[in-house]
Amino acid sequence: MPPDASQEQQAQEDRDLLARAQAGDISAFEALVERHRDHVFGLAMRMTRSEADAAEITQDTFLSAYQHLGTFRGDAAFGSWVYRIAANNALMRMRRQRVKSAAEQELSGPDFNERGALIDQPSPEWARAGEDQLIDAELGQAIRQATEKLPDAYREVFLLKDVDGLSYEEIAEITGDSVPAIKSRLHRARLALREAIDAFYREKS
Amino acid sequence: MGDMFRCKDSIHRLLEFLDGDLSPEEHAQLEEHLKWCPPCMEFLRSYKATPGMCRKALAAKMPEELANKLSEFLRNRIRKA
Repeated sequence: MPPDASQEQQAQEDRDLLARAQAGDISAFEALVERHRDHVFGLAMRMTRSEADAAEITQDTFLSAYQHLGTFRGDAAFGSWVYRIAANNALMRMRRQRVKSAAEQELSGPDFNERGALIDQPSPEWARAGEDQLIDAELGQAIRQATEKLPDAYREVFLLKDVDGLSYEEIAEITGDSVPAIKSRLHRARLALREAIDAFYREKS
Repeated sequence: MGDMFRCKDSIHRLLEFLDGDLSPEEHAQLEEHLKWCPPCMEFLRSYKATPGMCRKALAAKMPEELANKLSEFLRNRIRKA
């Protein structure tokens, strides 16, 4: 899907600020930070579930970006570059802190009968509205809880791909996992979250 | 043409289907299944809607106090460099 005009304009503004920052204009770098800090903080917050950790990761990310400004060739967008640094930092922190569990919990997903036919019909109310569906406080809470319940390896992939927009290859580089493994985990994470949203609507009706 | 896809076969391949990564034959088999299976068509709609809905629910903004601390931190570290 081609970028729209406002995305293109934002990208151009980032390129202009980056050029000024690389030439030594600190205020230009500060402007880049302001433009991207919510996204970086959001990524870190979703991964670590800790405001304190997310704040530290955000600081480390932008400091690292500043220190490596001179070597950034601009072959990727500035935003993509800092998000990758943030994702790397977040993942490293989480893996240092994580206690390995003995077995991953069972992920929920659709049920099939012995002939491979879908048993439960999805509740159509929310699927038809698609992405235009309004997210009220209750639904938002249900989604956040369902995301937190995902096993870490599945949650990381889902957040990095579907929420933060990194590519499969970028996620593979950061996690050290293969693209097929990442796709498999992403699919199962989506199934589990889809199930949680569906359960929310079925309980409501 | 291979065996017809069941619901299970179709749902198993939804990610590759949406990414455009299925072989032409598998793509055609999946589309054929969706044509005759309303529950799977609804399932696909809900599967497609899930990432976007989660993005909205999980969006986070850096609290102002932390944003101010970030600016202060960077100003101190950058000016020392």
